[in-house]
Amino acid sequence: MNDGKAAAELVAALNEALAERITSVYRSLVQINNGRGTGAGTIWHADGLIITNAHVIHRQQKLNVTLQEGENYEATVIAYDEQRDLAALAVDAYDLPTIEVGDSKHLKAGEWVTAIGHPWGVQGAITSGVIIGTGSELPEMNQMQPGREWIALSLHMRPGHSGGPVVNSSGQLVGINTMITGPDVGFAIPAHVVKTFLKETLGTASSAIAS
Amino acid sequence: MSDILQTLSDAMASAVEKAGNSIVQVAARRRMPASGVVWSEDGIIVTSHHVVEHEDRIKIGLPDGSTVGATLVGRDPNTDTAVLKADTKGLTAATWLGAEQVKVGHLVLAVGRPGDDLQATLGVISALMHKRDENRFFAQTDVVMYPGFSGGPLINASGEVIGLNSSALMRGVSLTVQTPTIQYVVDHLVKHGKMRRGYLGVGVQPARLPTGIAESLGQKSGALIVSVEQDSPAEKGQLFLGDTIVSLGSHKVENLEGLLGALSVTPIGSDTMVKIVRGGQIHELAITIGERT
Repeated sequence: MNDGKAAAELVAALNEALAERITSVYRSLVQINNGRGTGAGTIWHADGLIITNAHVIHRQQKLNVTLQEGENYEATVIAYDEQRDLAALAVDAYDLPTIEVGDSKHLKAGEWVTAIGHPWGVQGAITSGVIIGTGSELPEMNQMQPGREWIALSLHMRPGHSGGPVVNSSGQLVGINTMITGPDVGFAIPAHVVKTFLKETLGTASSAIAS
Repeated sequence: MSDILQTLSDAMASAVEKAGNSIVQVAARRRMPASGVVWSEDGIIVTSHHVVEHEDRIKIGLPDGSTVGATLVGRDPNTDTAVLKADTKGLTAATWLGAEQVKVGHLVLAVGRPGDDLQATLGVISALMHKRDENRFFAQTDVVMYPGFSGGPLINASGEVIGLNSSALMRGVSLTVQTPTIQYVVDHLVKHGKMRRGYLGVGVQPARLPTGIAESLGQKSGALIVSVEQDSPAEKGQLFLGDTIVSLGSHKVENLEGLLGALSVTPIGSDTMVKIVRGGQIHELAITIGERT
């Protein structure tokens, strides 16, 4: 890599890849207004199923969901699990933009990831970094919340990212932004935990949309 | 078009996995375990000094998931480095990268094994702090030092080890002790069980040199002797209160840190030329450097 021109072209190609990746995942991000404040959400299924954190819903029943394109929908809570900090919302819409759900069980330390949300209310802001580690044995989490599975992320997540998607380097959805333990460390709920949550709360009938 | 990102991501994850064959868990404190790196196949492991709180019952978690005992070979608080000997053989030694192969701006990963699995954070080399004549090679990075990362390696995109990460050397800054310094410390500790550091037996404070002398020596200050210990190498070598040390061997001395740095790399028991300013004149004395005990 002593060839300066080749290196510059490589960085330019990388930048382009990053930008292109973001545009495609961007549209699956929504904004959720709970009447008291706003948070992020992720479109899980084209037929109006949206996933977010339970703490974003804040036990409010009157919810409003805004898509990236600006369309606005009233939303109903159809599943809610405070333990897992997950909620599923339904909006009366079809053909919503979705992103492919990736394999969240075999993520590797050092893999590139991007998180999207509305940090401090800034619309659709992204932060990128790498996977620190995964599982239920992460140092900060195993005592605080034993047994829960997490993806630890080395990036700059902020309040307002909660409920938004975490995507891998191929742009697949691997987790839902959930919390931070410091300015440089964020935690996401793995996509396979979301699937389990949907199967358990919405039953077998919803396994199609949950899978 | 987006393949390049996938390629980069895969490369980083593989670098972590490759280096991971030489990254171990080090359980030698009451709180959570830390990390360590395999230095040689015969069980020599390097880690951070500050994570080795108890010297008995040290446990090493190997990459294959098994656990072996280890003993402390020695430690060097100055570089926050400790050397352990694991009760096993056939380990995979890390590939250690020379200091000159590391540049500011390089992509790097900090890797740890505080549990069974590898963990990693990404960053760049922010600054290099190299003092070649004192064998001090440190790198500053912006990687996040996740809990248990101390004693683990900083690696490049090829999975080669740049050095050992420490969160204890400088507060709020992630520092990496680079390969040449680790090499120097390991050699010393394996041979002597401790860092042998030269001893002169003087108390000093920095003092500005007279203009003429400063110009001829190319340095603005020296270490003014304010005390001389009894029976010390300094006393035997005829150093007196009021002398200003300006160099020791080939090392310039401008203050206490400079003197300590020079002493740390000067062979013990050897006659060393010490240059001083006395009565406005430059003198040279041959002094036998002792060992700090």
